[in-house]
Amino acid sequence: MSKILIVDDEPHIRLLLEQALEELEDKGVELLTAENGEQGLETVRRDKPELVFLDVMMPKMNGFDVCRAVKDDPATKGVYIVMLTAKGQEFDRQKGDEVGADLYMTKPFDPDEIVAKAFEVLKLSR
Amino acid sequence: MRYSSPYPRARISQETRWHKALSMAEIKLKKVLSGEKAHETISGILASIGVPIGILDADGSLLAGKPAGGSSKKYPISISGDVIGWAVGTEEAQSVAVLAGYLAQHHAERKALARETLDGYKEISLLYNFVDKIALCLNLNEVAKLVIEETRKNIRSSNASLMLLNQRTRNLEIIAASGREYSPKMTLKPGVGIGIAGTVFFSGKAEIVNNVATDPRYVKGTNKVGSMMCAPLKTRDKVIGVINVSSEDPVVYTAANLKLLHMLTAQAALVIENAVFHENKLKEERIKSNLERYVSPQVVKAIMDSKENIVFAPAKRNITVLFSDIRNFTTTCEQQPPEKIVEYLNEYFTHMVDVIFTHGGTLNKFVGDMIFAFFGAPGKSDNNEKRAIESAIAMQKRIKAVPSVWIQNNFLTGIGINSGDVVVGNIGSPHHMDYTAIGDEVNTGSRLQSMAKGGQILVSRSAYEATKELFPFKEIGSVQVKGKNKSVEVFEVLY
Repeated sequence: MSKILIVDDEPHIRLLLEQALEELEDKGVELLTAENGEQGLETVRRDKPELVFLDVMMPKMNGFDVCRAVKDDPATKGVYIVMLTAKGQEFDRQKGDEVGADLYMTKPFDPDEIVAKAFEVLKLSR
Repeated sequence: MRYSSPYPRARISQETRWHKALSMAEIKLKKVLSGEKAHETISGILASIGVPIGILDADGSLLAGKPAGGSSKKYPISISGDVIGWAVGTEEAQSVAVLAGYLAQHHAERKALARETLDGYKEISLLYNFVDKIALCLNLNEVAKLVIEETRKNIRSSNASLMLLNQRTRNLEIIAASGREYSPKMTLKPGVGIGIAGTVFFSGKAEIVNNVATDPRYVKGTNKVGSMMCAPLKTRDKVIGVINVSSEDPVVYTAANLKLLHMLTAQAALVIENAVFHENKLKEERIKSNLERYVSPQVVKAIMDSKENIVFAPAKRNITVLFSDIRNFTTTCEQQPPEKIVEYLNEYFTHMVDVIFTHGGTLNKFVGDMIFAFFGAPGKSDNNEKRAIESAIAMQKRIKAVPSVWIQNNFLTGIGINSGDVVVGNIGSPHHMDYTAIGDEVNTGSRLQSMAKGGQILVSRSAYEATKELFPFKEIGSVQVKGKNKSVEVFEVLY
């Protein structure tokens, strides 16, 4: 079963991403959540999701460090990582590229875009 | 109770998932129990009870616990009356069913909240993208086109149009439209009860009309319209236009659709107001740069600041004309190479224009070595005769003061001044227009100039009457001028 992991320290962002991705649950996709970077990395290692929506600013371990750790590990480097961050932080985008993020989306993100991306990465048809 | 309607429901790309009330049937017990906390709670309870209790989903598949023996009972797990699963076992299973129901209720509430949050977030995201797209556009037609495109992208419709009030005609005019058919030339005189758009324009309140055909206000156009929404484009203090969204099929536009349209128009109005302001500014700049060819920058500023409506269309005006010409110019030219003459002429003209501008005059044209200027157009002014004569005196004096001695000695000018009603405005062919003055009084001014000897300023009776207390004059008498039946009374200004 395909898995998507949502890593964000803000409960309402986790909740609304989960809600936006509800459509995929109907297709048998399992949605996992983590509330900080450390927990996120653990979940990636344990559950091997195909796709991770990863916030940048988080306690314990920030999104860049999580991304780097995931991409440096041969066992998890194939995971598709979408970094989520506040609009206008161009510096973050550069840093996201450095740590190997696959895509970069700015908040407020377009929920429809998120769903479309998930369908694409998981190779599912709507 | 379900909402029933004879029409298919309006579908909005987002709306299919927005604002949909959460149905309890959507809550799956499996999902409820998969939550980490819920799972822990249920497993703990089942373990502590010690007798086999099974939790089944609505279809009877085992989700947790152990299947109970033959004498067990089935207790429904329900939320708001909908059964979503069963607790099966001894009578302890009843408490487990209640607990599971409570967990499901909690899950449903959380989900409803999440859905609402998502709706809000979608609105923000939509608005954010919308503003991002239109905010920097200063071209009115482009903004209007973008607004219509974005509106149609987000609200299901077969036609959409943006109308703005034409300040001159007071009609609502279509600036941008998209759809199966529309008439770009369609206009509407807004009024209370005239047209749905007209009514909304006046009331400033957005409306849904789901059965347009039966609405008495509806003005039939080329479009087939079943249902429509109309929202006003409101700026800080007024309504500047409306946006219409319509569907050929009678659909049911909802309050949520209207809210979305309202949100889009609120943002669009600000950007459109800005674009209109920018276009007016450009128009003003064009008028200004046109004016600067004829009058001094100070006069341009005075005209622009006066809020006076500058009319370039030919109109009758009382003005004073001034003609100035160099005597014996052809003979003078023979003494110098043509390049030198051009150089002297440019210097001479520069000084003369400076004097004319200083006195608030309008330079009309140079014809060879002749200067034609007037006072009193395009900006209206008083004391035209006085300023023309003062200008003429200053011109004569300036020639004697220019740095070039050659000009001082060789450029002797005769000046003629007349005042009266003439036609002033843009005159010519569509390919070439000139802002100029035409009329008998203009011709008389020109004749007076040709009569004037070098250094002389000759004026007509009308110019003399207006200024006789201000300057010393010498009466020359009545003179028959070329091409005129009536003789002209001529006065010389002494300076």
